[in-house]
Amino acid sequence: MNDINTLALLGVIAGPVIFAAAIYFTKQTKLRNILVLGAALLTSALGIFIAASPSANVYPDSWVVYAGAGLEIVMTLAVLAIAYNIRSWAVGLFGTIQLVLVVISEFMHGESSIGPAFVVDDLSRVMVAIVSVVGSLILVYSIGYMKEHEHHAPATARSTNTFMFFLVGFIGAMNGLVLANDMKWLGCFFEATTICSFVLIGHDRTREAAKNAARAILINSFGGVALTIGAFLALLKGSTQYSGILYHADIIAFSFIALAGLVKSAQMPFQSWLLGAMVAPTPVSALLHSATMVNIGVYLVLRAAPAFVGTKLMYFIAIIGAFSFAATSALAIAQSNGKKVLAYSTIGNLGLIFTCAGIDSPLGYSAAIMLLCFHAVSKGLLFLCMGTIEQKIGSRDIEDMGSLLREMPLTTVITLIGMASMLVPPFGMLLSKWLAIEAAISSPIVLLLVVIGSALTVLFWAKWIGRITTVSYHPWYTIERISISKQSVLAILATIVVIAGLGAILLYRDLFVDIAIRAYQGTYISQSDMKLFEAAGNIPYWPFMAFIGLALVAGILAYFTVNASNVRAPFLCGENVPGSTKTYEFRSVKDSSHLAWSSSLYLRHIFEESKTTMWANLIAAVIILSMFAAIGVL
Amino acid sequence: MSVLAKSPWVVHFNCNSCNGCDIEFLACLCPTYDVERFGVVHVGNPKHADILVVTGSVNHRNARVLANVYQQMPSPKVVVACGVCTSSGGIFADCYNVLGGVDKFIPVDVFVPGCPPRPEAMIDGIVKAVGILAAKAKGIETPVADKPRITVSPSPKPVDETPAQEPDEVGAVK
Amino acid sequence: MSETIIKLLIAIVAAPLVGAIIAGLDRKVTARMQGRVGPPILQPIYDVLKLLIKQPIFLNRVQILYAFMHLAFMMLTLVLLILGQDLLLTLFVHAFATISLILGGMCVRSPYSRIGSQRKTLMLLAYEPILVIMVVGIYLSQGSFMASDVVAAGAKPLLLSLPLVFIAYMMAMAIELQKSPFDVASSHHAHQEIVKGVTLEYAGPFLAIIEIAHFYEVFLLFAVVYFFWAPYNLANAAVGMALAAGAFLFHIVLDNTFARLPAMWIVRFMWVIVFLMATTNIIWLYRLGTI
Ligand code: SF4
Repeated sequence: MNDINTLALLGVIAGPVIFAAAIYFTKQTKLRNILVLGAALLTSALGIFIAASPSANVYPDSWVVYAGAGLEIVMTLAVLAIAYNIRSWAVGLFGTIQLVLVVISEFMHGESSIGPAFVVDDLSRVMVAIVSVVGSLILVYSIGYMKEHEHHAPATARSTNTFMFFLVGFIGAMNGLVLANDMKWLGCFFEATTICSFVLIGHDRTREAAKNAARAILINSFGGVALTIGAFLALLKGSTQYSGILYHADIIAFSFIALAGLVKSAQMPFQSWLLGAMVAPTPVSALLHSATMVNIGVYLVLRAAPAFVGTKLMYFIAIIGAFSFAATSALAIAQSNGKKVLAYSTIGNLGLIFTCAGIDSPLGYSAAIMLLCFHAVSKGLLFLCMGTIEQKIGSRDIEDMGSLLREMPLTTVITLIGMASMLVPPFGMLLSKWLAIEAAISSPIVLLLVVIGSALTVLFWAKWIGRITTVSYHPWYTIERISISKQSVLAILATIVVIAGLGAILLYRDLFVDIAIRAYQGTYISQSDMKLFEAAGNIPYWPFMAFIGLALVAGILAYFTVNASNVRAPFLCGENVPGSTKTYEFRSVKDSSHLAWSSSLYLRHIFEESKTTMWANLIAAVIILSMFAAIGVL
Repeated sequence: MSVLAKSPWVVHFNCNSCNGCDIEFLACLCPTYDVERFGVVHVGNPKHADILVVTGSVNHRNARVLANVYQQMPSPKVVVACGVCTSSGGIFADCYNVLGGVDKFIPVDVFVPGCPPRPEAMIDGIVKAVGILAAKAKGIETPVADKPRITVSPSPKPVDETPAQEPDEVGAVK
Repeated sequence: MSETIIKLLIAIVAAPLVGAIIAGLDRKVTARMQGRVGPPILQPIYDVLKLLIKQPIFLNRVQILYAFMHLAFMMLTLVLLILGQDLLLTLFVHAFATISLILGGMCVRSPYSRIGSQRKTLMLLAYEPILVIMVVGIYLSQGSFMASDVVAAGAKPLLLSLPLVFIAYMMAMAIELQKSPFDVASSHHAHQEIVKGVTLEYAGPFLAIIEIAHFYEVFLLFAVVYFFWAPYNLANAAVGMALAAGAFLFHIVLDNTFARLPAMWIVRFMWVIVFLMATTNIIWLYRLGTI
């Protein structure tokens, strides 16, 4: 480990935090924006640097470890302060339990010198890359977004300085979390993300925002308690580090850490905080859903997956994930609120990642990492698009997006790219879904749930894409005006999505397969799993490119060659109003004219939200309890 | 023979018909006549059709519908007007709402006479239309159809001059 | 390599022709069953050729792109199968071809077309899990997802280990072939309550593209039936052909004896009865422990 790498590591964690502090005290808007930009540039540069550098362990001096312990106590106290502030006894209880456990563990000694305090390995490099790049882009986007948001935000809203402070700090904390190996540091960053998300969700300080922020901290501090208990149990067996837990295969301790992961990743039945989080300004949702918060859970489980191969615990995690995937896909069908659909889809995809991680074969592992990467980028893009659309049309309802292609063609095309990356083979998401099903072949229940879930996802994506591409014929489109920071971020993210998406097969073959092989070195892998794994790495690349290219070329040629004189009005039984500017206007009774309109398919009578949620939560809770029962905790 | 002639898809539009013509037209699809032999498909929508079969006279409300349906068909297209109603309004010519024959509103290529025409006559009309379709595809001018019409203007309706009798009292009508 | 390319080219050209002839036979046999003479067997080809020279009327340009995507992904499905690729991936590609068609119907401001698309989405929802289960069943009985391994010489006939899945597949196939009682989204017959559903707003050459894609699909569907009996053996090939012919007749009889059913009814039927049937078969395979 050389010094540059250590510095980069320090920079990627502490850099954003320092910038955040500077931002907080800046009075001038211009300077603040420059600082945010600087933080974004620094973080992404360092993140890419770390991602490109070789794996390494960092053994800092013992004071660093103590600093971690101290910071963890500070964070816990902050949680307690929040609990007092929002008068929530439950949060207070969780905070107290944590505080007690943390303080007790101060007086216990484990084999602290065994492992490194920070680890740069394949998984954390992938995570740092996601957090830094996507996170930084969201930061830049939020400069333009907040400028507009300030104008029509409620008067109660916190200052933009505070917002930026927590937004930038969040990225530092997240980077810290994925690099930390020491359980104290892990716990400290875990709490830090909880606090950041609380403040950011409650940014507008409306009644609803306050309520949802309170719910977020309640549920997440429950996760914090689970993590602390896990760390404490590990300490009882002598390990103060995550690698120690894995080394000892301490399944009881890990089960609590996994529970914390499920909470943070908003798996059923803990999903309500993430759904509530959408009251926050859109960059927050984007950050929570793509680059940071929800990835914590899968990261924690993925890191442990190779160590717990074939255990009942992993099997149950796979089932919980698959169940969340199926249930949220069903729930998303009944939603017409675009952000909510995205939120459910996030939970679902995270569930799928849990499934892949829980299947614990190299195939599942590689699928999980691939899904993680592609999901972060695509979902980040989609949320940012949603924010742009919402600020322009003043609604987040899918049904209101009918003429989006005319009103904001650029954003719509970028949104379409994002959605296509969720749905079109061979883009990453679909590829990973395919790998997930193949990996799940050995456990029928998981398999069935994933199959059902993936069939249901088609329904809401198709509906949405259909709605936003609905358009009458226009000879040309005028590109809408949106602020430069928003536009450039959307363009960059869309480019990443397209390039990564088209190269998904190559990326899988050359990168994710290697990562999975390295992760599973020395673990026993069954013959059939290995065969599948090898076969999956051999998908041909050119037919996809050839035919997608063919369709695009033909489509684009047709686009420029079609003749406006061949445009006809839609078929409305011949009752179209002649000469109307709206081709879908028709004459009805008494010569009144109406616009032809059909709503999308929501199946609300089947997937009614509250009822479905109730049953799904119940089942999920039972699965989680049986998980603990199966490993002998209950 | 052009491929157009091998697969004439027909859309049927009932303007103001008494349903006599329509039933006869549908009979063409039945086993006895089976126009599908000639590749005829009875499509429900003008956008897929080559031949528009119109039955009945045109009235105030359906004139624009007829025009729209015709306009939504991709060219080359042919109109077959079945029944005497389509040429002159037929027995409905004098109705207060009837505007007249189809050819006042859209160009008609084939008239099939009869009230209603026999299915054989209709099939004959469609086969003629297929020929015209092929000619149109080649860009050949096709003659405007002859109306098989002997204009019979009905004598003016006798108007009852006597004023209606007002009843004197309730129930006192003789 | 060049051999593969020639094989692919032949397949790309021949598949829609075979599909068209199957569709033509379908119309002919249906006509004969109804006591009619019926159109010539090549009628579907005439239809497509005619559509190609008609005026290209359209509503918006997005619609055209979707039509091309539909065709391209349908061809990609075929190509992947010929290359002996992963069946599950192929299935996803095929599903996306259908999604393109759905989107093409949705992106216009025509209520009939939109309703047709929504029904088509429901149909996709109804049969897609069954097809995935079928592929899983194939894996369980042959030990590989690769199409090339499944058709390899010496593999035992799939039908023997997947009889219930085969029946389930017949149902899924009926939906995809738009046969009654499952032809809610778009039908080959005229007067439907939503006119023509998904393809309503496509006309002329664009409709021809969709028809050609449908021929590919017909070919693929029957090819799958054929491969339910291992092919690389002349005697087996005859059985496979007979199986395909039987499936063909089954669908015609089905089409002519049933009335159309509501879309949600179909989804329920597929998800409860057919899906259970297929899963029973799968569970049986798991219990046999073939993997
Ligand atoms: S021509 Fe005769 S049968 Fe036909 S619609 Fe007119 S009145 Fe009826």
